[in-house]
Amino acid sequence: MNTLRLERLEFAAMGTSCVVAVSAGPREQLRVQCAFEAARAEVDACERVLSRFIPESDLSRLNAAAGEWTQVDVRLVETLRLAVAAREATHGRFDPSVLPALVAAGYDRTFEQLVARPPRTIAGWRGGAAIDIAETGAVRLDRGAAVDLGGIGKGYAAQRALDAMRTAWPTFPGALVGLGGDVQVWGRPPDGGPWRIAVADPRRAGATLAVLRVRAGGVATSGRDVRRFGPNRALHHLIDPATGEPAVRGPLTVTVVAADAARAEAHATALAMSSPEDAIVHVQANPSLSALYVPRDGEPLRLGELPLEASRRVVFAA
Amino acid sequence: MERVWVVVLSVWAMLAIVAVLAWMHRPAPAALPQATPQTLVVTGPNGKRRLVVLQAPSAATTHATTMTSVVAG
Repeated sequence: MNTLRLERLEFAAMGTSCVVAVSAGPREQLRVQCAFEAARAEVDACERVLSRFIPESDLSRLNAAAGEWTQVDVRLVETLRLAVAAREATHGRFDPSVLPALVAAGYDRTFEQLVARPPRTIAGWRGGAAIDIAETGAVRLDRGAAVDLGGIGKGYAAQRALDAMRTAWPTFPGALVGLGGDVQVWGRPPDGGPWRIAVADPRRAGATLAVLRVRAGGVATSGRDVRRFGPNRALHHLIDPATGEPAVRGPLTVTVVAADAARAEAHATALAMSSPEDAIVHVQANPSLSALYVPRDGEPLRLGELPLEASRRVVFAA
Repeated sequence: MERVWVVVLSVWAMLAIVAVLAWMHRPAPAALPQATPQTLVVTGPNGKRRLVVLQAPSAATTHATTMTSVVAG
């Protein structure tokens, strides 16, 4: 008889909410608490290292010392490696070095503290700043460059938190970490089936657009439907690395399923600045990805082998 | 006296009939709002596009939700 149930913990972290859940039996409360404490400690550690809003964070130190080699925490090194690889894989559409443009647009402090002001323009904007990573764990940015890891950092933290839970409780049946919509899963939920991840409908508040069935890996959503700022909340946080300004083209949101949440987040950000045609080409060129592309108007696009809940029927073939 | 009892019984009988009729014609409970079916345009590996209708998904038993990161204090 299956007596597993899903134990959950929710707390605020990294400027958003974090959900940690683990499949556990009724006599495993102590293990559950250990796993939760390990996950929470890891998320807190990631925030202390990766936040651009904490002046003493490793990322803030790195940005302040642009042009010089800086020794930083392994979490920042690993996140930067993932970010640089994602920049190459997305041909620069995801770029962690857009921070100066993001600040110029007006996102220059935590979202709760933002003051609406007209955006500034950066003369001669050029993205793709060099990020050199030494084997010793030291990192050097181009002089004048600065890095933001707000999105990919959440995905990475979700992975790290799940790994921390496995270390604290090596035999647990399955667990999930959701950090601001970036979700990492491993193992099995209490009912034994795949994890069921709801995709929030960006066009209908509180509604679910689709349900994904994921056995392992990561899911992330990026979009311009929330985190808007500036005069009349006309600006959004998705900076187009090509222009250094909030992206003009692209859908309302994109949800990506990938091998892990950090990769899902980086590719979701890139696709959130892509036309439908470019998004189709990108997913076809990266078979390990699948995506749900939700334009402002018109029907959502399913790209790749998206693991949608099998409650659908084809009514028209073009 | 007999007429009084007839009137009283008639009134009670009428009230009973009205109550039974009211119970039989009570308004039906309002139907739960139905979620609108969603459609997706599916692009196959050969580039062909198909329109797919999804049954209204139920988020009641999902384990987590993915969305654009919202601010939480």
